[in-house]
Amino acid sequence: MTDCEEVTTALALGAPLDAGARAHLAACARCGADEVRAREIARTLAAYAVPAPPPGLAGRVAAAAGPLLARTRHVRAPRLARTIAAALVPLPAIVVWNVVVLRAAARLLDAVLPPALGAYLVFSYATLLALLLAASYAAIPLLAERQRRRREESHA
Amino acid sequence: MRGDAELMAAVTAGDERALAELVDRHGPALHQLLWRLTGGRDVDDLHQETWLRVVRAAARFDPRRRFSTWLFRIAVNLARDWHRRRPPEPADPALVDALPAGTDGVARMDAALDAARLLAALPEAQRSALVLRYYHDLPEEDVAEILGCPRGTVKSRLHQATARLLGRR
Repeated sequence: MTDCEEVTTALALGAPLDAGARAHLAACARCGADEVRAREIARTLAAYAVPAPPPGLAGRVAAAAGPLLARTRHVRAPRLARTIAAALVPLPAIVVWNVVVLRAAARLLDAVLPPALGAYLVFSYATLLALLLAASYAAIPLLAERQRRRREESHA
Repeated sequence: MRGDAELMAAVTAGDERALAELVDRHGPALHQLLWRLTGGRDVDDLHQETWLRVVRAAARFDPRRRFSTWLFRIAVNLARDWHRRRPPEPADPALVDALPAGTDGVARMDAALDAARLLAALPEAQRSALVLRYYHDLPEEDVAEILGCPRGTVKSRLHQATARLLGRR
């Protein structure tokens, strides 16, 4: 920090001067001439006390924001419920289809593999399908939320 | 204690208690900022409007950013609009009466009035930079983010403000 602007700004804002600034101040006639006024400005700025917020202000904010927040709750819940309901519509068909596929696979495997190995493979496949289905449905609220944010951002 | 980002997520879902917690936490600093940006005029209205904008824009808050920076950005923009609608006037001594009285009450009122006059003499952009940097002790990077300008611009606004206060410009 060695130029005049930085030194006078630091003085006016009451910031501590580093060694370079002090050396500049000692050597620079222009900064020397401004020093008294700059320190006076720093004292004046430092004396600017601001009263505490009035006691009722937080309540006033809450009262004004209440309807907005209520509307948010009102809009969000049905939207999410609608999304989940829409996602649940094809679920029975998916489950029926998977059962059909698993039965067919079990019959096929019974014909070519020992029964224990066939049952193991079918059980593993069924578990994998169940996990994939659960993960897909668990992602629905997250994806719905992301989509909602994108929509709001594009409207903003 | 819940963090600001968590509280904002709750506000997005319409949680009134989360908003009240944020107001308790950041309201006093916001009040000080608005007071110094406007010279104490219309502070309560601007304070309330800032929080309403927080609620309306809650979904757009990026939880990776600091909430106070985002809040101050909203407040500074509101104060800027307020200044456009209503040009600065000399500080009103009646506003200083709101200051807490002490044994040196008159001296404090005078000092506060002097400081309010100093700030009122600055263009809005310089005043915002000075208030955020000096009174809120924010680093220049944060001030730049709040004001939506490069860090170098903050620095030059502070230099220009000092020059103006020194009577050079």
